[in-house]
Amino acid sequence: MKRQIPLMIVLILGLLFVAHVFIPNKLSSDYLDWFMKWMKVIGPFAIVLGVFSLVYVHYNKIKRKAPTWGYSIVTLTALVVTTAVGFIWGIQEGTPYMWIFKNFNVPLGATMFSLLAFYIASAAYKAFRARSIEATVLLVAAIIVMLGRVSIGQAITHWIPDITEWILNVPNLAAKRGIALGVGLGMTATSLKIMLGIERSYLGGKD
Amino acid sequence: MKFADRIQKVDRRIIYVILLLAVVLPLVFRLGFKTYTTTPVEDLYRHIDAAAGRDDMSILMDFTHDPGVLPELYPMDLAILRHCFERNIKVFTISFLPQGAAIIQMALSEVKEDYPNIEANVDYCNFGFKPWSLKLPIMLGMGDDIAEAVETNSEGLKLENLPIMQNMKNYDNIQVVVEISGSSMGQFWVTYARAKFGVDVAVGLTAVMAADVYPFLQTGQFIGSLGGLKGAAEYEQLVDIFAMNGEEFSKKKARNMSWVEAQYKELPELAQLYKYSKARIGMDAQAIVHVLIIIFIILGNIGYFLDKREQKKNM
Repeated sequence: MKRQIPLMIVLILGLLFVAHVFIPNKLSSDYLDWFMKWMKVIGPFAIVLGVFSLVYVHYNKIKRKAPTWGYSIVTLTALVVTTAVGFIWGIQEGTPYMWIFKNFNVPLGATMFSLLAFYIASAAYKAFRARSIEATVLLVAAIIVMLGRVSIGQAITHWIPDITEWILNVPNLAAKRGIALGVGLGMTATSLKIMLGIERSYLGGKD
Repeated sequence: MKFADRIQKVDRRIIYVILLLAVVLPLVFRLGFKTYTTTPVEDLYRHIDAAAGRDDMSILMDFTHDPGVLPELYPMDLAILRHCFERNIKVFTISFLPQGAAIIQMALSEVKEDYPNIEANVDYCNFGFKPWSLKLPIMLGMGDDIAEAVETNSEGLKLENLPIMQNMKNYDNIQVVVEISGSSMGQFWVTYARAKFGVDVAVGLTAVMAADVYPFLQTGQFIGSLGGLKGAAEYEQLVDIFAMNGEEFSKKKARNMSWVEAQYKELPELAQLYKYSKARIGMDAQAIVHVLIIIFIILGNIGYFLDKREQKKNM
């Protein structure tokens, strides 16, 4: 029963949703409204679960003095302080919450992302080699697109932005659409497998 | 050490220092490279501009991004908001990420300080943060009734009582949904809101994701897009040369560089503020860095081929 009940729920709800999409009538739209109300109630519990999980993991790390446990103190302190100032003074502009956001979160986040530029530059120098025909095509396309996306490309010749647009609109588009179709078909197949109980890994544990 | 070896084994730190200079110097000493607008950005501008002065039409901005991508996406946030405030276009803002909600506050207050006549809940309404798990119910619910689906604004006020909502019922009153995103690429909006209710969707994305939108642009599922800092720079320019000068959008004019330059000369003081030129100043640095990376690639490959030739000779 521990297995059968969740599998039945998934099958029934899955079929109802498929029916809702393909059979549009009042009954199916009422069903969706009813379900959406449930989702609004259930959804916020995910936040509670997430906070509980975060506290549990980091508390245990500190307790066991696991490697890099010091960072766990920072994480938990940030969680408690940010939540507290948010509850006490609110989260509008001019509050301590926004001060923390602007002076910690924004520069830290931007710094982490900016580091990518250095890695890309280093990788471009050290690893981007024309080792094969495919790599050479990639390299030439990359150079054209990099020039075409900045004003220097246009200043050299209008052909560079034009070729850039062609690369993005034709080969890039074809490849992306192929990938998207593959992903879509894969998702449909996986969804069917879940609905029919063939794929059960989401239940956790052994069969 | 031979030349080929020397090129191949350049210390990473030298590369980092050169890159740092290539980024910092153009930001300090502005080079003023020209900005050329492209179709996806022009289409988005034109589409948003069509809601100017209407009480029954608005745009919805979904801030699905965090501080990590602010340098690229924040200029988009500012440019679109400035366009809306300048042209009297009603705006709704929402975020399904907690950090996105703080970014909305930041962007709104930064633009609003230049538009003292713009009033919260009259000219714009910030729906604030809504949990990610409510994205689907809200998105689908807005098709029937925005006030019922979203319920409250960021200050906890009931939407149904707000003046801005008087002529706003559902997606029929939303000119376009613009998702400014560092990850999700607007697909939720396309899959649910556009497919079911036909609302127009557009996106603002980081440059690394910009190539992903082309299939959606071709099918019309996205009516426009802003790709990275370049997209933001183009939008900034369109706002300057059209909205700030009280001009109606014209693609022909936008692409006529001598006309564009003439418009720049007549810009009001407000448009010349640093915060409204961030993307264009950033594009100067990006242009130099792109060229630098191309030089790095070429140098690296010269070293590789010289090395390969040496190895062949020694065999």
